[in-house]
Amino acid sequence: MMWADDSETKVLYVQTHGVDDPGRSATPFFLAASAAAMEFEVMIYFTMYGPSLLRRDVVDKIGPKGDQGQPLSYFIEQATALGVRLLVCQASLDLNDLAMDDLIDGVEMIGGATFNDLAVSADAVISF
Amino acid sequence: MPEPSVPAADQVLDCTGLACPLPVVKTAQAIKGLAPGQVLELLATDAGVEPDMRAWSSRTGNELLSITKLGDVFHILIRRVR
Repeated sequence: MMWADDSETKVLYVQTHGVDDPGRSATPFFLAASAAAMEFEVMIYFTMYGPSLLRRDVVDKIGPKGDQGQPLSYFIEQATALGVRLLVCQASLDLNDLAMDDLIDGVEMIGGATFNDLAVSADAVISF
Repeated sequence: MPEPSVPAADQVLDCTGLACPLPVVKTAQAIKGLAPGQVLELLATDAGVEPDMRAWSSRTGNELLSITKLGDVFHILIRRVR
């Protein structure tokens, strides 16, 4: 089991949208940061187009409001600084023609069994 | 001026002008810098901060002492419990 502490409240977010929809890029990071600040254990699973948001050559170039406001990297760092863990799986990397080396540091690789295990043991699963 | 029954803050955290989730995130970080029993005063203008700080306090076990709105600014006193 990848959850570190069985006694903590656990929230799993799922991000399916990618770089083509920047308006949907930041909210999962906001909510995950809020949850981590509430001392919940929090992970975000990036699937379908989601992994494209974690490209190291992209995170400083897009943001939820385009050229206005903060880049996506700001929201990612806000979440990860509070302990939010970022997860991808190989199939969704393949869908986006990405390798782990293309992604920002700290992203963890899981598979479908792990995702389902995390989901059934979480207190909430929230999908975007 | 705080009311007589409200303790003075040991630290003031100014989050005026910052949007959700920053007041919550910065409060969570700041409270860790206080000793149990000490009081943090959060200043915030985010419209959702009142229900947010109630939820945050309830979940983290810290004590929400008071919420006062002066003009546009919420003054929120929180005591670190543990």
